[in-house]
Amino acid sequence: MINLQNVTFTYENADTASGLSDVSLCIPDGQAILLCGESGCGKTTLTRLINGLIPHYYAGKLSGEVLVQGEAVSNLALHQLAQTVGSVFQNPRSQFFNVDTTSELAFACENMGLPPAEIRERIQNTAQAIHLHALLDRDIFALSGGQKQKIACGSVSTLEPLIYVLDEPSSNLDHASIRDLRAMIAHWKAQGRTVVIAEHRLHYLYGIVDRVCYLQDGRLTHDMAADDFFSLSAEARQRMGLRTLSIEALLEQGVPSPTLPGLAPYRLDRFDFAYPHCPKALNIPLLHLPAESIVAITGLNGAGKTTFARCLCGLEKRCAGVICRDGTCQRCRDRNRSCFMVMQDINHQLFTESVLDEVLLSMDQEDVPAAEQILDSLDLLMVKDAHPMSLSGGQKQRVAIATAIASNRTLIVLDEPTSGLDYRHMQQVASLLQSLAKKGRTLLVITHDPELIVSCCTHVMPMEGGRATDPYPLDKAGLARMLSFFTAIGT
Amino acid sequence: MKKGIQAKDLINIGLFTAIYFVVFFATGMLGYIPIMMLALPFLCPFVAGIPFMLFLTRVHTFGMVSIMGTILALLMVLTGHPWQLLPIGILMAVLGDLVLRAGNYKDWRSIRLGYIVFSEWLAGMMVPLFFMRDSYFAQIRAGYGDAYADALLSVTPPWVFYLTIVLIVFGALAGAYLGKATLKKHFKRAGIA
Amino acid sequence: MGFAAFSSNHQSLYRLDPRTKILLTVLVGIVMMGGSIHGPSAIPRALLALAPFGLLLAERKYRQGLLYLFVLLLSVGVESYLVTRTQGALNLILVIVSSLFTRFVPGLMMGYYLVSTTRISELIAALEKMHMPRQIVIPFAVMMRFFPTVIEENNAVREAMRMRGLHLSGGNVSAYLEYMLIPMMMCTVKIGEELSAAALTRGLGRPGARTSLCDIKLRGLDALLITISLLAFALWIVL
Repeated sequence: MINLQNVTFTYENADTASGLSDVSLCIPDGQAILLCGESGCGKTTLTRLINGLIPHYYAGKLSGEVLVQGEAVSNLALHQLAQTVGSVFQNPRSQFFNVDTTSELAFACENMGLPPAEIRERIQNTAQAIHLHALLDRDIFALSGGQKQKIACGSVSTLEPLIYVLDEPSSNLDHASIRDLRAMIAHWKAQGRTVVIAEHRLHYLYGIVDRVCYLQDGRLTHDMAADDFFSLSAEARQRMGLRTLSIEALLEQGVPSPTLPGLAPYRLDRFDFAYPHCPKALNIPLLHLPAESIVAITGLNGAGKTTFARCLCGLEKRCAGVICRDGTCQRCRDRNRSCFMVMQDINHQLFTESVLDEVLLSMDQEDVPAAEQILDSLDLLMVKDAHPMSLSGGQKQRVAIATAIASNRTLIVLDEPTSGLDYRHMQQVASLLQSLAKKGRTLLVITHDPELIVSCCTHVMPMEGGRATDPYPLDKAGLARMLSFFTAIGT
Repeated sequence: MKKGIQAKDLINIGLFTAIYFVVFFATGMLGYIPIMMLALPFLCPFVAGIPFMLFLTRVHTFGMVSIMGTILALLMVLTGHPWQLLPIGILMAVLGDLVLRAGNYKDWRSIRLGYIVFSEWLAGMMVPLFFMRDSYFAQIRAGYGDAYADALLSVTPPWVFYLTIVLIVFGALAGAYLGKATLKKHFKRAGIA
Repeated sequence: MGFAAFSSNHQSLYRLDPRTKILLTVLVGIVMMGGSIHGPSAIPRALLALAPFGLLLAERKYRQGLLYLFVLLLSVGVESYLVTRTQGALNLILVIVSSLFTRFVPGLMMGYYLVSTTRISELIAALEKMHMPRQIVIPFAVMMRFFPTVIEENNAVREAMRMRGLHLSGGNVSAYLEYMLIPMMMCTVKIGEELSAAALTRGLGRPGARTSLCDIKLRGLDALLITISLLAFALWIVL
């Protein structure tokens, strides 16, 4: 049992995560509970109170009482809590301590000083229960995000805690991995464990959580049964700033039938690529991309989406592909100047000490008024003197786009621009993309987010096994086709 | 902040040692350009000043810098570098740690001096060369005669070793300023330091 | 020797105890550093200099092993033959290069052998068995874990620089270095902070003994290699 009594918390250094005010919540054993709400509502903070990272890791002012299995969290050391509460976090890349999977699965048990024979048995049991055998004895750095997250779940599972706390575990996963995640949660629930999940992506939790708590500005405002929650109307959940409750519902939402500009498309020839000692990762003899449109690139991990984007942006020099439009053709090297990729981890592509400098750096001739105009159009003018790394995720994304505009790139690829975003921020990205397309840019969006596709994309280009066909328009038939891809393997 | 070295501190030590080492090593790669080789004792501690100064913003208690030097030296020896690096590396790290502690890890003058002392671990690389000289020249003398040995001695003077030490001092001093400037320019404003 | 070696999952074919490898690495380093290529002390030195060669062959690293043998023989040959037959600047270069090579390369090659055939978990288990305090073992493990991360982050940043058209041209070396180092460090530090939180919730830092899944044991082959190398070492001291 988890019991929060009148808990108020404020972080010492007010970073992006916001605190809680006067939250009382009782979670009985064996319950699966979903914590949701807009970014900054305090759901992550709530998970940290349960796994003890507050007050033992994140400093701040805490009042009220948090009891886990009848003991006050503040009186227990983190390693004592570790036996009761297992935690899975958002970023699969930063959760593992070891470099190989089996050591990682053993890690928590080793810390607890369990005998090696028992650790081995537990690893076998866990591998059996959540289908990890194929992942044993592997280099973690070579795994996909979904596989890493599976190992993270497994490494928590070996300690057999009574309570599992998951903080936005699906943020970086494709929908096949989300299905695995759902199965994992179901397994824990079947074992009678308590599961607490803070999430933005909600649809995969339908039928698996018992109860839903909605937080707003650090307050617990709605506490409802799962059935009531999942039957909320589309308007109600959008008003609450929540993501879609089911993929099927997006079909009803429909798409504004796109007005296609009818321009000459880009013609892509011979986009082939193979990594050393590997089968072909990309095999596209001929492809047409509609200009000044927003094309969603869908497909499972390993379908070649990122490889395609890298070849397109001229990052893979061994790719012989050529892009032609209006009689001008560009080889790999030329595309460095006309294509731009907004990476999934945006922090890699911000270099300077201020937002304005970042834009100026991308201009051939530094032109401050022009740079400020670009920043203004992206709603960034008021932070022009701030350090880019001090901004929020969405702002950083817009800074990267501003640099692309400043350097006159016509083709912009975005890699998972909405991972971990709530409804409002997702909508912001969607309208930004639309305004860019209106200004004559062609946008390609690699995404696992059907809601984003419905909100802004004009075309969909499915990829599988390194192959792709011409994008189909996202009209009524296209919508059904796109959604069927997500529902076929999804929940 | 709690006293003593916590688990979180141990992770920070490992993390920053990794960054420090990679930066150091990558700068050392410049040594393949022959003329740069002589400049390495200056360049390596100069560039590595950035991660080290960032590391110091995480240091609050005695021992953290000592551990950093210890695992650094341990890694060097395990990768086949001269064993003398281990005692010298540990010694320099502990001495540097003492200097830094005198300023409570915040006073700029002791940070500057502490980083110089710490950086002298690199001189451990030269120690075997320096002490090898005697046995090496004894062998040359026996094999090829006095004239040859004396000629060779005159072109490989012992002051190269002292020059290295001095170069490290200046490199570390400049590196400390570089690190300080970078903290101010980037890490503080980004909310990381 | 690339950093890739550190993250290697390669399982050593002969499963030597990492402690044996560590001992050999240190002994080879010490012995090669002193003594001569002439006279009686050359015998134990030659024996130990060949250790990395044999070990690399046993791991089917033929290319590296043969390359090493070639470099070793070449520098010994130069040191013993060419040095007396050349003069002036060429002689100077030959003396310095060949004597540095015969002294440093065997040790470095042992180091390469050690890191490329030992899993990090084995190395950590070995350090624990050698009764290293946890204040050393934990940071050492974290450091090894972060090498691939630093490389990964660095590659991503370099790529982003290429896409932005930030090249090393003209006199902007310091700006180039800044663009390269700062985002890499920021990203790595961020990962480190999240890793700390994750590791602490998995019980890292619990007082009391840790156990290890890795069973490292001294086997017959270890005993044999240790005996031979210690004998060679003793011989080298006596001679």
